[in-house]
Amino acid sequence: MASSETQPRFGQSVKGLLSDKVTSCSGDVIALTRQVLKGSRSQELLSQAARNMVIQEDAILHSEDSLRKMSIITTHLQYQQEAIQKNVEHSKNLQDQLKHLMK
Amino acid sequence: MAATGDEAAAMESISKAPVPPTDLNLTPTPTPTPTPEPEPEPEPRREVAANDATENQKAKRPSNNNDGGVETAEEATEPAEPDINELCRDMFDKMAVFLQGELTATCEDYKLLENMNKLTSLKYMEMKDISINISRNLQDLNQKYASLQPYLDQINQIEEQVTALEQAAYKLDTYSKKLEAKFKKLEKR
Repeated sequence: MASSETQPRFGQSVKGLLSDKVTSCSGDVIALTRQVLKGSRSQELLSQAARNMVIQEDAILHSEDSLRKMSIITTHLQYQQEAIQKNVEHSKNLQDQLKHLMK
Repeated sequence: MAATGDEAAAMESISKAPVPPTDLNLTPTPTPTPTPEPEPEPEPRREVAANDATENQKAKRPSNNNDGGVETAEEATEPAEPDINELCRDMFDKMAVFLQGELTATCEDYKLLENMNKLTSLKYMEMKDISINISRNLQDLNQKYASLQPYLDQINQIEEQVTALEQAAYKLDTYSKKLEAKFKKLEKR
């Protein structure tokens, strides 16, 4: 007597068995997908990476602010150097006059 | 015992029933030679069965076959729903949407990290440009200050000379005061 799975069991129709089988298969697929995602730990690692990036952002902004201030200070130094350049050209005359006085 | 043997044979024939015909045929069909094919129907009805192959599963009607004096019967199944294809398609579509949604969450996390990294790299590129400008400007400044060094040495010499001049002026002032005091003393005499 052939008693395969396709044969109707006692009290159940083929249609009911088929729907149960489809439901179980779909549930298995869903469980498999979730297990694969859970096993890869991608969610944890990615969230940790995003958290670290947010922590680093403050330091990056501070560094950028410091660099901009350095550029401004460098510009001021350039202005001062130009002013010094203009004024030291008179020092030669001053030195000649002092030599003459010291004689 | 013979009756039970016949009943067992009947049960086996029921379990091993062939593909049922579309029409209910109570009259025994003439089968002179036993054929290996399970279909006992005549040829015209085979075409009908072939055309209704897709509908066999939907509409299985109970039929009785007489095979050696033993009646067999097929399972009385319900006719399939007319929109079963659409329902199946709908089910698979929704399953695909669900699975895609599950995977999209991780993809969105990756995209978020990618965007954050891109923005951070842009910021670092800007900082790199700023630092390059600062470095170039400071190098120019160092060169200009190096060119100013002789002038700064002259300024140091001027400062030393001015200090010496100031000492000489103090000495001259003291000498002139002494000279004034002697002159007044001599004038009183």
